[in-house]
Amino acid sequence: MSTITDSPRGTCALGGVNATITALERVIPIYHSGPGCCMQNSAGEAGQSGGRSPYQVGSVSTPCTNMIERDIVFGALDRLRETTEGALEIYDADAFFLLSGCTSGIIGDDVGSIAKEFQERGEAVYAIESPGFLGESYRGFELAFEAFLDQIVKPADEHEPDLVNLLGIMPYHNPFWQGNIEELTRILERLGLRVNTFFTRHQGIEDIRTSSRAALNVIVSPWLLRSAEEQYQERFGVPSLRWPGPPVGATDTTAFVRAVGETLHLDHTLVERVIAEEEDYVYSYLATTPEGLSWKRFAIVGDAATVVGVTRFLANDYSLTPAVAIVTDPMFRDDDKAAIARQLTTLEYAQPPKVVFTTDQWEISQELRLHDDVTLLIGSTNDRESAQESDAQYVPISYPVTDRLVFNRSIIGYRGSLTLIEDIFTDL
Amino acid sequence: MSINLNESSVGTRENRLGSITGYSGRLSDLVERSHCGTLGNHERCFSQSSTCNSSCGLSQLAGIRDVAVINHAPSGCTAVAPGIATLDRQMATKRGVTTDTVFIGTDMDEQDTVFGATGPLKDIVREIYRRYHPRAIFIGASCVTGIIGEDIDSVVDDLRDEIPVPLAAIHCEGFRSRIWASGFDVADQAVMTSLVKPPKQRSNKVNFKNFFESARDEIIDIFSNFDVEPTFLYVNSTVDELEHLSEAQATISICGTLGTYLGNALEEHYGVPYIRTINPLGVTGFETWLREIGKVIGKSDKVEAYIAQERAKYLPQIEKLKGELEGIRVVLGMGPGYTFEVTRVLEELGMEVVWAAAWHFDPNYDNGAVPPSMDHLLKNGSDFKLSITDQQNYEILNILDHYQPDIYLSRHPGTTVWAIKQGVPALCVTDEYMIFGYRGVLRFGNSVLDTIRNRSFEKNLAARSELPYTDWWYQQDADALMKEEL
Repeated sequence: MSTITDSPRGTCALGGVNATITALERVIPIYHSGPGCCMQNSAGEAGQSGGRSPYQVGSVSTPCTNMIERDIVFGALDRLRETTEGALEIYDADAFFLLSGCTSGIIGDDVGSIAKEFQERGEAVYAIESPGFLGESYRGFELAFEAFLDQIVKPADEHEPDLVNLLGIMPYHNPFWQGNIEELTRILERLGLRVNTFFTRHQGIEDIRTSSRAALNVIVSPWLLRSAEEQYQERFGVPSLRWPGPPVGATDTTAFVRAVGETLHLDHTLVERVIAEEEDYVYSYLATTPEGLSWKRFAIVGDAATVVGVTRFLANDYSLTPAVAIVTDPMFRDDDKAAIARQLTTLEYAQPPKVVFTTDQWEISQELRLHDDVTLLIGSTNDRESAQESDAQYVPISYPVTDRLVFNRSIIGYRGSLTLIEDIFTDL
Repeated sequence: MSINLNESSVGTRENRLGSITGYSGRLSDLVERSHCGTLGNHERCFSQSSTCNSSCGLSQLAGIRDVAVINHAPSGCTAVAPGIATLDRQMATKRGVTTDTVFIGTDMDEQDTVFGATGPLKDIVREIYRRYHPRAIFIGASCVTGIIGEDIDSVVDDLRDEIPVPLAAIHCEGFRSRIWASGFDVADQAVMTSLVKPPKQRSNKVNFKNFFESARDEIIDIFSNFDVEPTFLYVNSTVDELEHLSEAQATISICGTLGTYLGNALEEHYGVPYIRTINPLGVTGFETWLREIGKVIGKSDKVEAYIAQERAKYLPQIEKLKGELEGIRVVLGMGPGYTFEVTRVLEELGMEVVWAAAWHFDPNYDNGAVPPSMDHLLKNGSDFKLSITDQQNYEILNILDHYQPDIYLSRHPGTTVWAIKQGVPALCVTDEYMIFGYRGVLRFGNSVLDTIRNRSFEKNLAARSELPYTDWWYQQDADALMKEEL
């Protein structure tokens, strides 16, 4: 049912599918939608998530049927057919995905039927029913993976014991998605593993297709991709290790590394050596840290994975005091919320923060007003005003980030945790 | 032509003005056929993403201070609201004022598409009034509300007695138009029908329609020479200011596309003269525009004195700059209110317009006349190649590849990056005042020179990045996928 979304932290299902598809190299979405959807999606995800343009296609370079009134009255599958025909001529690509928007979704234009026509001609054209009204960005991320599993992934003859799929970080939507994927890849590779990241290192549709060969899915999210997790297990025999968000800092990252090592039965000596070297690297820098460590009582606002990881790091590893943690994901399952709250309240050192779940900016701002002793606000550009009001320092780390450019910055893992500390001690 | 203020909706540019988004040819043909009324549109058998009138219209209204914009739509249609809110707050801070405007969505879901959501919408309007006490509330329609037939006008009527501030339904369903500029008209209709009051007296104000008022101080300074005070619209406007638009001495717009509806509506209904000249870009534009304003407000002598004084200061510098700009080959892509003004300035400065693209084209404005910039160009002997293309990136990149200009000038976010990846230096003319007046000409000319003299980034990036288009496409004519004219 309609509810107030003040300063929404995401786009729609279509936007989420688009962000996911366009992060695959040489894969082109074809919008069967009104004229504004793609611009709103591209500006909404890549643009408001660290101020970038999409890599290969996005915004003005994305095919779209630009449906207008007569298309809604009469249907517009012919128009989608000729648009797809044209796309095959003008794009040098490995795959095309026909995406339905609200308009084609409501009038019942069957994008799947057009994809089928092209597949029968041997073309790599697929379809995803993705009208925006199905949900927010994360819903689209999940829809894209459901489509990959239904239409792209092929069964494997055998699993490769050193190959893992790294899942759970949503491309474009998370401002640090690329850097964070790179840091986790770096750590996993140090353990002798090869990593399917799908969205970095020029990976693409072929890596999705052969992802069934992996020995393990490493899913770094407290709640995303549950259906993909089940499908990988049931249909392709790939088990998953679910971690409640990308680990941040030495303590949680080391626990993560040990969990991966145990699950895949990796050489214990190698795992412990990597841990020792990485922790030494981190603490050698932290040893040169500025004075006055514990003078910050902080509030944090953002997606569940980031809020969990950063809160645990700052409380457990860096002796800061969490006052309130506001989780903005549009979540509906109570057990997801309970699991997230547990992660945030079972801290080794600090007093647990108040945990709040809300997507509405007005409620977020009202909640932040209750914590006037907070001196550090870690959140999104939406929360900047709250920080100004209470004279707290502000560090943007969660969507939307419209006040800084982000390329390959990581704020997670071993090395990223140092960058996060750098950011906290910048513009003091 | 008649502007109807008894309805909340206003016709699209396509229906009202015969505007088009597909054409390829020459300036002379376009102008001639605009005059004859024989200009038709070319559809495309392949198209790329355009932009909708909803995001255009609602973001215009969100620029007004201390109002609420409620987009009755699925979540994604309001996705860029946080970015717009940030920008508007920055604009307010820059000017030393504050804005408490909120731009919210109603997050329509699948169930709403079946059962409708006018009930929840009413509750949302009430709650938004309770929370923020805005000075006016604008409720936007969307593709979804349009298709399922949500009656937003009735919601407004039902709430009118209950909510003590102006309410307006904004008919900006995304599928109405491929011309996002239709959104300017929708926003103007809301302002005219819900805020503007009949005049009680004439003020010393002039209505100045623009985007982000970056030349605010400069313009206030210029107009102080003529004893009038500009009211800038809509970024940082207040509801009080808008209520008195009908009392102004004139309406001026920095862009003909932006101003046509409001300017003509205020003239037709309240007798506020709308200044219809070429725009104040470049020397000829600036002087022609100022002289017409002087005539309308009865201050021609003061305008002439001002022009003489500024000419003495700036013309020698501009002449010097011309020598350096001579012969630079330009491709440009902008909204029509800029394309056919900037081309004039380019030629005035000795540059060569190799190809001009406009995101749409209005063969006439709301007074029924062909845009003045078109006749001006033709009279001065211009006749460049051009296309009307709603941002079609594949056409633009084909043109850039074919003509290899020295620079690509664009006026739309997200468009120059593709030219740069193809190795063409590009300048995004996002500031509407970049070429304003004498000083703007100097600023613009120097920016062009800066852009083309150091091409290291374009060269390095193009050598290492792959664009998605096939070699086949680059061998075609840019209009190869346009259909026959309708």
